[in-house]
Amino acid sequence: MDQPEFRFYKLSFLLPGLLGLLAVILFPLFFTVRVSLSGWSAVSPGLDFDGLANYRALVSDVRFWQSFERLAGMAVGTVLIQYILGFAMALLVWREIRYRRFFRVLFLVPMMTTPVIMSVIWRTILHESLGPANDFLGLFGLGPYPWLTDGSFAMASVMMVEVWQWTPFMFLLLLAGLISLPREPFLAAAIDGAGPVRTFFNVTFPLMAPVSIGAIIIRLIEASKIMDSVYVLTSGGPGTATETAGYYIYIRGLKDFEIGYAAALSVTYLVVMIVLLTVIAKLLVRTFVGRGT
Amino acid sequence: MSLVVQELSLVRNGVPHLGGVSATFPRGQLTAVIGRTLAGKTTLLRVIAGLQAIDGGMLDLDGRPFGRLPAWKRDVAMVYQQFINYPHLSVFENVAFPLRKKRLARTEVERRVREVLSTVGLADFGKRRPSAISGGQQQRVALARALVREANILLLDEPLVNLDYKLREQLRDEFRSLFSTQEHSVVIFNTTDPAEAMMIADQIVVMHEGRIAQIGKPADVFEAPVSVAVAEIINDPPMNILAGRIDGDGLLLGEGLRLPAPPRLATLPRRAYRFGVRAGELAPADEAPLVGAVTFSEVSGSETTLHVAGEKGSVVLQLEGVFVMPPGTRIGVAIPADRLFVFEDDGEGRLISAPAAIGGS
Amino acid sequence: MMPRFYSALKYAAVLIWSAFVLAPFMWALTTSFKTANGVTGGPTYLPWIQYKPSLHGWESLFGGAGGIDIVQPYIDSIIVTVGASIISIVLGTLAAYGLSRFQYRAGFVKNSDIVFFFISQRIMPPIVLAIPFFLMLQFLGLLDTKTGLIIVYIALLLPIAVWIMVDFFDGVPRAVDEMAMLDGCTPFEAFFKVVLPNSLPGILVALMFCLIFGWNDFFFAFTLTFTDTQLLPVAIVALNSSVTPWWSLSASALISVAPLVLIAFFVERLLSRGTLAGAIR
Repeated sequence: MDQPEFRFYKLSFLLPGLLGLLAVILFPLFFTVRVSLSGWSAVSPGLDFDGLANYRALVSDVRFWQSFERLAGMAVGTVLIQYILGFAMALLVWREIRYRRFFRVLFLVPMMTTPVIMSVIWRTILHESLGPANDFLGLFGLGPYPWLTDGSFAMASVMMVEVWQWTPFMFLLLLAGLISLPREPFLAAAIDGAGPVRTFFNVTFPLMAPVSIGAIIIRLIEASKIMDSVYVLTSGGPGTATETAGYYIYIRGLKDFEIGYAAALSVTYLVVMIVLLTVIAKLLVRTFVGRGT
Repeated sequence: MSLVVQELSLVRNGVPHLGGVSATFPRGQLTAVIGRTLAGKTTLLRVIAGLQAIDGGMLDLDGRPFGRLPAWKRDVAMVYQQFINYPHLSVFENVAFPLRKKRLARTEVERRVREVLSTVGLADFGKRRPSAISGGQQQRVALARALVREANILLLDEPLVNLDYKLREQLRDEFRSLFSTQEHSVVIFNTTDPAEAMMIADQIVVMHEGRIAQIGKPADVFEAPVSVAVAEIINDPPMNILAGRIDGDGLLLGEGLRLPAPPRLATLPRRAYRFGVRAGELAPADEAPLVGAVTFSEVSGSETTLHVAGEKGSVVLQLEGVFVMPPGTRIGVAIPADRLFVFEDDGEGRLISAPAAIGGS
Repeated sequence: MMPRFYSALKYAAVLIWSAFVLAPFMWALTTSFKTANGVTGGPTYLPWIQYKPSLHGWESLFGGAGGIDIVQPYIDSIIVTVGASIISIVLGTLAAYGLSRFQYRAGFVKNSDIVFFFISQRIMPPIVLAIPFFLMLQFLGLLDTKTGLIIVYIALLLPIAVWIMVDFFDGVPRAVDEMAMLDGCTPFEAFFKVVLPNSLPGILVALMFCLIFGWNDFFFAFTLTFTDTQLLPVAIVALNSSVTPWWSLSASALISVAPLVLIAFFVERLLSRGTLAGAIR
């Protein structure tokens, strides 16, 4: 369908969406780049030209790079946990379990809920004296723990909430993959007398490699934006213990109103994210495919 | 009153799909386009339908060029190999779709759809969804939808190939009467099966590697294929082709297979040729010049196909009746020298001499 | 002996995870019926036994004292989410169909590059867009309006719609739309009369994801609207102050996540039928 008669239709299908997105995305992107070259702040609002001053400053902005490391650790950590748990749960309700459709629905629920709103609830759960978390652990003689007021605990809390929220997404992608797997390799494994563990490592896991890669990449992309839960649970604190890159930029830009500097941070954030995600995606494909063949 | 295509050419990614195709397809006649897979048959139909752009060439119907009309203005109906119907519409609505698109009166639509559905034997299936009927029936629906329009041009792209053997024969037998209603249409029917083409076509177009190798009446093409390629395509199993030569002692085929030269061939210049013989004209014989082992045998319907590999050459035989020949069985094969086709021994392999037609038609 | 042990282990794992998944909802449910006394005395769980239940939290959502009026944010959230989702689905479906059926070429840009451009928008951190969006909407006079948020949400949701639908259309045989064109339909008619009716499962999946990601956004609603327009997440987080009325908070949280939880049922149906496998890759 590449004849000239089709040209009008061809463009009519694509252009509204493409131009719409370009209009909404491209302006902000170029604008951010431009602003990052300015000294726009609460003191001197306006689009002057300040060269690479902001970029020079951010190179030695320890708090920024730390927030980045923290984000990377959180994203990779939570996505790995989500992958393991999500895969486990998907396997469990894949077949041969009673009420599996009920459990499937239940396991999907958290991803349908609004992260900030559930974080608000989690905040009440993790409340040191009034929340049920410490109350529950107290039954076993544990705690009470400073869930949101100690650096390490706060980090663990944010990660736990992320895991609660997004394991279902991993579960969904992996279960959809499991359901669409061909039956023959499993029959062959069963005929060979392979047990559940061997079947998993020799058949299920290799067959799921492409789905796994896709799911992990999708989740890493989304996790690289972690921010809502941090905002509600800890506001980056205590101190800067749970401050992620996005949250730090938010503080510098929309709280301290250092627009120019925040824009430079944003551009850096975006570029680093794209580079890292591309590298990780390539690495994942290589390891999984390498093992699969 | 006919469809004329001239010098159609189409090259994609350096591969020529059509290399200067010219042909005339008269209205009221059924033309079978026969060729191997990837010979350009489907591309030709898609170009005529307007679904595929061409690099050059002309298309006209009754003297009016239509190459620049978009597909939806061409009045071309098409049946695909896969059973393609609109999954969300009932059988009746599927067939009615093109008529409703033309804004025909409701009673007219009803009448014509019922008529066509009963012609294809689906009168009672109007309310079903395509997914709720068998593959053969689905293809009948597709056929009905193409027939109901009484379009100027009706294209069928190997419509029977995905049906099982019995259904294929059954539907093939009905085709002549089905198309008799399309007396004003150009009907073009793609196939890889010579028997199918012979049985239903008024005209045969043989395609090979994006070009038309031969056009003619079925019997003419069958009796006198212009080249080795056509001879292989128009016979199923493909004609046996053996390299050889004519010399003072007669014919020399394959690796030292001697045959006396019949009068028709004795006068030919003494040099290298390629000889062809139909699989159906070979027969097992005790005293035979060619002896070999059966490598593969296949029974289909009431015929047996034997692949025989001998020291002096390998051939395929097609025998009437069912024979059980395990691989390794040694048999002799009689080669009737007067039934040999003689082709030029070069890349093109032009026909030099063909045996007399059987039955003299 | 072993199979029974495995089986017990399996059910135990499923039940533990279920408890973890359900815990916040259970806690929110019981908290929503508490009063200040029920909260400040330490964690309690069972109404009537451990604390005296009250409808105060729920009443406060509908104009009662000490909470927020949730009705208007609810309506705003629905308008913005549904509006942006529908526009994204319409634009995204059209673009995806084009990308699935036609060859586009502009310089070195090909179909796959255009698809990648759409999808890559998901990498964009919200914070990168927040400041320019703010200024853009201010310039357009759309700050603090539903229209402004809808425009922004389209940028978030359109990539999702394109992504899901391109894969879906790739799975619908081209022959179906070609057939429609031969039957006299223009490409538009072929799309609307034939392709679209057969693509409803894909559109449903795309719509669900748009609704989920639209309904659950907080950051843009938070930075781009203030008083005239207030979406649910912003309204509820505003309650999260130092003297938090946990009862109102819990009630509003439950009522705001409820509609999307219903989507889980649809997702599960599509999942178990295998429809999702084709739609998500």
